[in-house]
Amino acid sequence: MMPRTLAVLLALCLPSMAGVLPAPKAKPAIAGNLSILRVNSTSQAYDFFRPWTKKPPATRRGLGTLIEGGRILVTAELVANHTFIELEKAATAEKSSAEVERVDYECNLAILKPVDPAFLAGMQPMPFDTGVRVGDRATVLQLEPNGEIAQTLGTVTSISVGGYPLDNMGLLLFRLSAPMQQRDGSFTLPAVREGKLLGLLMRYDARSQTADIISTPVIKHFLSEAAKPVYGGFARTGIAFSITRDPQLRRYIGLQEPGGVYVTEVMKNSPADKAGLKIKDVILAVDGRPIDQDGNYDDPEWGRILFSNLTNTVFHPGDTVTFRVFRDGNTLEIPVKLEARDRSKIVSESYLVDKAPRYVILGGVIFMELSRPYLQEWGGDWLKDAPQRLVFLDAFQNELPEDRGKVVFISQILPTPDTLGYERYENLVVSKVNGKEIRSLNDVVEAAKTPVDGFQKIELEEDPGLIILDAAAIEANRDALTRKYALPALQRL
Amino acid sequence: MFRHLLVAVIATGLVQAAPVAKSLVRIETTSQEPNYKTPWSPGEVSGGVGAGFIISGNRIMTNAHVVSNARFLTVSKEGDPKPHPAKVVHIAHDCDLAILTVEEPGFFQGTVPLELGGIPAIESTVSVYGYPIGGSKLSVTQGIVSRIDFQPYSHSGMDSHLTIQIDAAINPGNSGGPVLQGGKVVGVAFQGYSGDVAQNVGYMIPTPVIKRFLKDIEDAHYDRYVDLGLSYKELFNPAARHALGLTDDDSGVLVGSVYGGGSAEGIVKPGDVLLAIDGLPIASDATIPMDNDSVPLAEVVERKFKGDTVTLDILRDRQPMQLKVPLNGPWPFTLHSNAYDEDPRFVVFGGLVFQPVDQNWMSELQPEDLRLRYTFDFYIEDKLYKDRPEIVALSGILADPVNAYASEFRNGILDEINGRKILKLSDAAEEFAKPADYYVIKMAGIGRPIVLERKAVEQARQRILSRYGVIREQNL
Repeated sequence: MMPRTLAVLLALCLPSMAGVLPAPKAKPAIAGNLSILRVNSTSQAYDFFRPWTKKPPATRRGLGTLIEGGRILVTAELVANHTFIELEKAATAEKSSAEVERVDYECNLAILKPVDPAFLAGMQPMPFDTGVRVGDRATVLQLEPNGEIAQTLGTVTSISVGGYPLDNMGLLLFRLSAPMQQRDGSFTLPAVREGKLLGLLMRYDARSQTADIISTPVIKHFLSEAAKPVYGGFARTGIAFSITRDPQLRRYIGLQEPGGVYVTEVMKNSPADKAGLKIKDVILAVDGRPIDQDGNYDDPEWGRILFSNLTNTVFHPGDTVTFRVFRDGNTLEIPVKLEARDRSKIVSESYLVDKAPRYVILGGVIFMELSRPYLQEWGGDWLKDAPQRLVFLDAFQNELPEDRGKVVFISQILPTPDTLGYERYENLVVSKVNGKEIRSLNDVVEAAKTPVDGFQKIELEEDPGLIILDAAAIEANRDALTRKYALPALQRL
Repeated sequence: MFRHLLVAVIATGLVQAAPVAKSLVRIETTSQEPNYKTPWSPGEVSGGVGAGFIISGNRIMTNAHVVSNARFLTVSKEGDPKPHPAKVVHIAHDCDLAILTVEEPGFFQGTVPLELGGIPAIESTVSVYGYPIGGSKLSVTQGIVSRIDFQPYSHSGMDSHLTIQIDAAINPGNSGGPVLQGGKVVGVAFQGYSGDVAQNVGYMIPTPVIKRFLKDIEDAHYDRYVDLGLSYKELFNPAARHALGLTDDDSGVLVGSVYGGGSAEGIVKPGDVLLAIDGLPIASDATIPMDNDSVPLAEVVERKFKGDTVTLDILRDRQPMQLKVPLNGPWPFTLHSNAYDEDPRFVVFGGLVFQPVDQNWMSELQPEDLRLRYTFDFYIEDKLYKDRPEIVALSGILADPVNAYASEFRNGILDEINGRKILKLSDAAEEFAKPADYYVIKMAGIGRPIVLERKAVEQARQRILSRYGVIREQNL
């Protein structure tokens, strides 16, 4: 439920900035240092070009904030694909390993716990800030190599709904204007106000000197969900909308009310779809709060805020929120029961973290399921550089037929005597194997069990149309294939 | 066609009254290229120099790209300083050839038409004549025949024909000049690489292509190349060969797609194996034996004309069959080819500029819109032409209060106007010409329509036309 034009900022590392004024020296007694820990996270991502292997490990550093319950709050990105997490006390360099108790990549938050709870002795949890306003000053904490805290003072320049990095989910964020310096520990930094936690810095744009801060309401929502027996996360209504500023559009649809937004998309099986919202509906109010022409409601605390903040952060999955809708000249009250997104129905995953990519190798032919991380292996310009048909399938996945299932494709073909002549085929979308429709990799495994006249017949949605393999030869050459290419397994499902 | 010339090869300019001097002309052109961002404006004027040569029937042969978009042409005979106005009689953009004539009486007096030869042997020597960069007089370069192969013709960007590669220097200004061996024309110099890409690689159009062009225009009309309208792939894999009913004899290719509107539609099917074309056996790498060489199987079709028939021996479901394919026309889609001598088509309504998407438009506007790029790039492969005979895009917005909220739709694909599906640009013009209170314009994949009120459009009309210098509101 995000306007399409939402800007997505750069990722989160802090580039070095030579010549910037040194940060003011820290006052030793700030409350923060009793709540701040260094977090070293070693992570290893999978290599989607060789889905059976991982990329070289890398270590990221950030600052965790101790909150009530002996929990340490960090961004989810800091611990994504972690293999080992280590907590380090700033002053004494004492270390303890830690585990992830709860992580949510949509809101980019994670809770860590030290393996040894006694490690936190002598530290104090940091309370949450309330009532921040645009124009207020806030401080971003960083650690000097000697364990001292460096503080950068900035100004809160906006409070609005913006895209969170991994899934581009629109959640409330604080934007801070502050001249930050590159320092050791740049993933996750606490932003505080008078010793209270305002939020976690998740990305910084050095050119504009703006920091995006995961806001306290989002953190509190995450923590309250984490306290439940079943983590519910952040609900998505499943609609896209357009502003209604154009008076010609307003007159054409007969809209008399001053506000409202025009529904342009309702995702199948989403809460909005189940509740009966339709394309062309105009949303006039949510939870009794009027919506303006741009989609904002008047929040008593934050001012004019996109109404998705109500459905994803103020309310929780399982709650019912009433939408007042203008449709064909009538005004309707439609209760919408909120749910988090059912990720099992997603055609092409926008992120795959802490999870190995699935693959099946049949006689050297590598089958995978389309996901955005695969496309992102082409680098920063992947929208242009990655195989275009796959880019389009990912981008327009909501327009595919409902029963389309996953997009199974041949990522590449390992040259063997069995795949002679096919070596150059890559990134081809599969429609059928041995006459059976393919909607997932499991379908490929099933279909491959029944070759047709001794052949594995792979039908493609594009040229060359058909790839045929000798079923018996593939079986006979399994070991040779795994040995030659050092494959740990011929499939992972 | 020589866009990145860096290395100018100095040709030894001593031409010792070679007999070819009586057959050569230097062509100077003034051309005007339309601007697709302001499609109503007449475009920029530029000039160029090329070569040509006289053939039978008082005709001058040159490259199409020398005289494309020409507004004024002059030719001067070698050794005669006087420029004579000329005009284009036939132009074939798909094989980069053109025929010019000079109406001035007496122009051809004393000239000697050149004769066409055959395909020169590999390693044999040829001479290239023309007016390339490095001086203004006739230049001759010499080289050997390096390779005979199919190559893309960069003028249209979409056609490939038989081409001869030579190692004589070919530079801007050589275009259209004859390549001679034994006093006969064995090719027309037409394209090459700049020096920073490859050295000593020049290309000429060989006589089979020239002769086909001359035969095609015998009825005073150029019909273009005919095409089967299908795609095929090599068949090397032993398992695939067995499954399709082939033996290990290295023959046959697999049909991948058969395109709508093409000659083979309804006759050949995807999954068919092509074994022979007009009796010539097709090897598993898609070549056939011809003229003591192996050439792509398309060469058989290349030499045919509209109305001819091709005989295909195929395997379908492992059963041998023979198919007759009447060649009813060219490759059915032109939107991916560079177009010349055409005014951009467009409709302006309420300051919104709608244009059909083609290669010219794409290369000038370079849109990043994913849906538009997909529709253009996969138009043929994904058979999108079935839904959209033409892709009509909202290509520009002449900003005005009437269209103040339309900017997010730029480069979108026009889908419907007032409930009517838009299949081609003229559909849009028709709908906009109908009286209606509201014009509700829906773009593909976007839920909100653009709504324009007739009153507002009428009030804005003169204002937009004069403010933006729009001298024409549509060209269909």
